[in-house]
Amino acid sequence: MAKRRLNHTSVIEPDMTPMIDIVFQLLTFFMVVINFENTKADERVKLPKDLLAKPPEVKPAEELVLNVGFDRDLSGRKLSEEPIVFYAGDKFTINNFGPLLEQEKRLAEAKGGKGAIDETTVILRADSEVPTGKVQELIRKCQEIGYTKFSLKAISEEK
Amino acid sequence: MGSKRRPDTGGKVDVPMAPMIDIVFQLLIFFMLQLKIMAPEGNFDINMPLGQSSQQSSDAPLVPDIKIKLISDDNGNLAQLKFGERNLGVGDGAFEALGAEVLKIIGTPGNPATKDIEVEIDADYELHYEYVIKAVSHCTGKIDPQTKQLVRYVEKIKFAPPRLPKNS
Repeated sequence: MAKRRLNHTSVIEPDMTPMIDIVFQLLTFFMVVINFENTKADERVKLPKDLLAKPPEVKPAEELVLNVGFDRDLSGRKLSEEPIVFYAGDKFTINNFGPLLEQEKRLAEAKGGKGAIDETTVILRADSEVPTGKVQELIRKCQEIGYTKFSLKAISEEK
Repeated sequence: MGSKRRPDTGGKVDVPMAPMIDIVFQLLIFFMLQLKIMAPEGNFDINMPLGQSSQQSSDAPLVPDIKIKLISDDNGNLAQLKFGERNLGVGDGAFEALGAEVLKIIGTPGNPATKDIEVEIDADYELHYEYVIKAVSHCTGKIDPQTKQLVRYVEKIKFAPPRLPKNS
């Protein structure tokens, strides 16, 4: 039996509606999930994990995030034993970080006036393997500049 | 003046979808690339003005401050956890014991008499920071297994003046 091919002269238009539906749903998902607030967090810092570490209910009015970690290769192996402060895309040793804290203070005071530093919380994101003495040295430097409020970050661990 | 005539299209009006789909795809790609999957982070607040020490307080507290000492080995691992002068050992059990000791001192969680009690953490220079966070966490409180809520023990935590490195 001979088959007859239908003779279509018009252009075949696929139905785009289901695809647009899915794309919009994906777009909405990514827009909701995205978190622009965490942009100050440095991925090279492997934070300690803790059950009690819950995201704060009230966010501090002003914050200065300091990431302290190690230079690591892609596999996560430490390249140097000297802890580094990752700040503004650059790396500084804790001993050399004082002038940058001064600079942060000047910026905070230019923005919020004298005493703005009292309202600023220093958020310390330190690697779990950083020697405590180094973290304390950094805290001491911040104290000398005038910071009094500190917050130690850890990753929320689910049991 | 002649009357306006509406053009008679006859069929349905086709809205061009291609530009919208282009934009939507670009937005989708932007948000997909921006997305960083990160575990939720929490924090422990400590209040440390310069020069503050437990001896400076003018009012004698009802309960003395709690002193915790963390001693490290040469590799930065915890070698000994001391609560006052008592040795609590090492490992997770030591931290559990620390939480129990703190609870013993404050009596009941939220006790107004022990609300102002302060914990001072004195850690060796080389000790890995994760142990300090563990100690801070076990002094701060615990998660109630039934309610899954935080039961708070102590709110005020501070560090003792930094120690010098062992090899200095």
